[in-house]
Amino acid sequence: MKKLFRTAAVAAVTALALAACGGGGASDPSNVSPTGEIKPREISWLLSRPADGAVINIMKKLADDYAKDHPGFVLNLITTPDRPSYIQKLETLAAANKLPELFDTDATPFAQQLAKQGKMVDAEKLLKSLGVYDSYRPGALDYQRFDDGSLHMIPFQFELEFIWYNKALLQKAGVSVPKSLDDVPAMCSALRNAGITPIAIDGQDQWPLERYVAYQPFRQAGPEFIQKLKKGEAKFSDPAGQKAVQWMAALGKAKCFQDGFSSQGYSDAQNQFTSGQAAMYNIGTWELPSLATDKLNPAVRDDIDFFTLPTTEGSVTAANEFVSPSGIGMAVNSRTYDPLVSDFLKFALEKYPSEYAATGALSPTTNVETVVPANATPLYKKALEKANDLGDKQAMPWDTQLDPTTNGRLQQELVLLVQGNITPEQFISTMDSTVVQNAPKFFK
Amino acid sequence: MLPNRSRLSVLVFLLPPLLLYGVAVLFPIMQSLFLSFFSWNGISDMEFVGLANYVRMLTGDDIFWRSFLNALGYLAICLVLQLGGALFVASLLTSLRRGAELIKTLYLLPAVISTVAIAFLFVRIYSIEPVGLLNQLLHWIGFGGLEKAWLSDVNTVLAAVSAPEGWRFTGLYMLIIYAALLAVPKELEEAARLDGASRWQLFTKIRFPYIRPVWITTTIMATTYGLRGFDIPYLMTNGGPGQSSELLTTYMYKTAFTSTDFGYASTISVFIVIECLVAVGLILLMLKRKADA
Amino acid sequence: MTAPAAPIARTVTTPPSDSGRPPLRRRRKPSVHRALSRALIAIIVIVQVYPLAWLFLTSLRDEHDFATGDPFALPKSLTWENYARAFETGDLGRNILNSFIVTMGANILIVLLGMMAAYAIQVLGFRLSRLVRGLFLIGIIVPVQIALVPLFIDYSTVNLLDTYQSMIIPLAGFSLPMSVYLFSSFFEYIPRETYEAASLDGAGPYRIFGLITLPLSVNTVVTVVLVNSIFIWNDFIFANTFVLSEELKTIPLGLQNYIGAMGKVDWTATFAAVCITITPLLLVFLVLNKAMIQGLESGATKG
Repeated sequence: MKKLFRTAAVAAVTALALAACGGGGASDPSNVSPTGEIKPREISWLLSRPADGAVINIMKKLADDYAKDHPGFVLNLITTPDRPSYIQKLETLAAANKLPELFDTDATPFAQQLAKQGKMVDAEKLLKSLGVYDSYRPGALDYQRFDDGSLHMIPFQFELEFIWYNKALLQKAGVSVPKSLDDVPAMCSALRNAGITPIAIDGQDQWPLERYVAYQPFRQAGPEFIQKLKKGEAKFSDPAGQKAVQWMAALGKAKCFQDGFSSQGYSDAQNQFTSGQAAMYNIGTWELPSLATDKLNPAVRDDIDFFTLPTTEGSVTAANEFVSPSGIGMAVNSRTYDPLVSDFLKFALEKYPSEYAATGALSPTTNVETVVPANATPLYKKALEKANDLGDKQAMPWDTQLDPTTNGRLQQELVLLVQGNITPEQFISTMDSTVVQNAPKFFK
Repeated sequence: MLPNRSRLSVLVFLLPPLLLYGVAVLFPIMQSLFLSFFSWNGISDMEFVGLANYVRMLTGDDIFWRSFLNALGYLAICLVLQLGGALFVASLLTSLRRGAELIKTLYLLPAVISTVAIAFLFVRIYSIEPVGLLNQLLHWIGFGGLEKAWLSDVNTVLAAVSAPEGWRFTGLYMLIIYAALLAVPKELEEAARLDGASRWQLFTKIRFPYIRPVWITTTIMATTYGLRGFDIPYLMTNGGPGQSSELLTTYMYKTAFTSTDFGYASTISVFIVIECLVAVGLILLMLKRKADA
Repeated sequence: MTAPAAPIARTVTTPPSDSGRPPLRRRRKPSVHRALSRALIAIIVIVQVYPLAWLFLTSLRDEHDFATGDPFALPKSLTWENYARAFETGDLGRNILNSFIVTMGANILIVLLGMMAAYAIQVLGFRLSRLVRGLFLIGIIVPVQIALVPLFIDYSTVNLLDTYQSMIIPLAGFSLPMSVYLFSSFFEYIPRETYEAASLDGAGPYRIFGLITLPLSVNTVVTVVLVNSIFIWNDFIFANTFVLSEELKTIPLGLQNYIGAMGKVDWTATFAAVCITITPLLLVFLVLNKAMIQGLESGATKG
């Protein structure tokens, strides 16, 4: 017995030591143009995008085209669309030092640590060396940058998040589009009184509710608030944080979200909006195909419109500055970066934008025109045009900014706050102490 | 002992199973113990922190205690549904002459279905918008006032995620208890009945003492399975709203694979192991003592 | 409680041997009772089975009917389209095959190794057999989750992540103790004399294992395989932690796949997919349920 235990302990130490030391051997992440022969082989891209979505379909096609000239090349796409599962997979693979040639990640604190350890190729240099850097929308690249301004991920999308609404339902309740974020709670009460669900939200996935807590601080203190908050330099007890928390509590009190929202999923929420039961729905342009084409339920088709994130009195950010994400980005593993990966990326990134724009989506670059699909409603074009008139600042989704533990706790506490299970004061003290406890590990 | 056996033959038969078991079960337990003294996020260097993780767990972590209490609540509900339900149905079944086979099969059906499917199913059942099976049923029988979003209410969610686990395995335990009840000698029961024993007395004085050994086995089985409950809460609510349905196992999992705090997650693992050993010890102590008394 | 006094008076005169055919007056009370228990059983069975029936019915509804109509009314029209969609979007065939491979692999290990360990402990016997037995008890008690972090680290060092083995090893390891116990309690019932006779004929431990123990254990093997298959076929946690690529995803992960982009769910197709994935195990279960129920009953009552 004793012997077995001792052997086990020794083996454990070796295994762990091996795992911990495995991180070495990263090549220089700033060397973006490796020299040598292009040897076709199979490379993998670990990604978190819809399995039959445009990005995957196009990249598959481009990989096939590339393989015609480079026999033996295969692009193996491994997708996990469910984001929390994906993040778990990515983090564990990184811990195991098993990241593939290409992998998706947001500009999270975890990704920043990977970048610091030199595991990701410098994307700014890479894009410049491929000669495509200048064609990207600055906002699309900024969304991918870490706080220090460095760029390690390449965007494949560009989306704008709007608040979609049902004109007929607003009219029925005698309310109009809110001029200020502060008008929303009263608006919800009026809608409730008219027997209408004010806002349909996907509570199950948690990120949609987390968007709302970001809105007030973005208007009140600008994009810097979350950058400071995540490091513990700003607090929820600061004026901007206080305002956000009180506003969330007010949304809850006014019963803005559908009953039992926290256990309702993505399609539940969308169904409520498109079936005319809910008056508002906060979602991005990736849903244009279901909200601005003839796929939309005819009963509500003429009543649907959208507005962008309202401002507030004394807002430091402008009306044309809101959440405009370029989606999860693609990082290039520096350890496996070689002439082949470089050559394929050059091939794919040049051809990607026009293929992508042809599907009716907004390209992260400005050198192509999005093709409006034939079955689109006028709203489709109106939504796309918003992309031409954006301010310099953008509201970052907080789930990409906070460390994972704080983020998880925030998502949990937000539900409790909005459901009225905890007071704003409890929320503030819990969250501020959570940040203090967890942020240092990620931002030292 | 077999007369012709050699030391070698014992090793030949024993080593392969022990090897698998050691690799898959014993060694990981030791590793957890080892890791629990470190702080490690998977990509940076490991840092020895001594007992810091244990201090944090026992004194500074409100979620840990919340999940511990939740796990006990979850266990209690599972035990009542599985063992109580199983005993009740098994007793009813013994009075049935025909059809017992069919009912046993039907009753066991949910055990065959994957937890992913069960979680999907029950999310729909508890839903309020669109109205789910449970709320619809309440409406029909005139308890419309009780309709609610069962998975969003902090007061009902724990029961709501425990029930599917109870529902799933009650058939399994029912089978075992039913078989034990059938083995109770008919003469004993008949004699007691002749003495004018009521049904309740018949049960407490004759049947239950007779099946006590089986009862202990099933209690231990149900308890250890209850304590390892994970899939259903994880898939249905992911511990929410807030921490209302967070169990030690789901909390440990998130700490490890979402927060990448492998050291602290291992500390929670060690606690879970101790918790399970204590639980089984307690059951043996309580039920055995009663049997001796 | 219709006629409380009469039965007592009667029982005095009724000889015990007659209990199979009780006199008329005694029959009434139990029959009320029996009707009541039958009703109760019926209700409980409905509770137990209705959700599954609903699952199946929903899988036959069209999407619009499900989203807008009363989800519990009978479907307006039945459609198999959901099944077509389920097969189209998912990789269900492959998922089922993977689940099958993992279940088979784990079961072979569980049966073979479980039998070997039980043979060593129960039949051959050795000095530390009690200790080994106790060691196996730990595996029954501790939850599987504790192995996740260490196994993940170990697998990544020896390159076993994302393989069939990564699922089979822990699934088999954690099921082994139960198998050892079931086999050793069965081996207890094989009479000593059988072995002794064989020994006298000059058979060694290996031949006895192959010629006597193995053939006698068929029923126990069926029990062990069936009981473990339920858990292994449906395992979510190990597969979810150790498997990364599409080609290795088992049924529970395949179902998870239905949560498409950003949690969007095609509910009716999901229900269809659920029905498809539970079918193989359900069929096996329905065919073999007698054997399994018997095994479970006897296994547990002996233990």
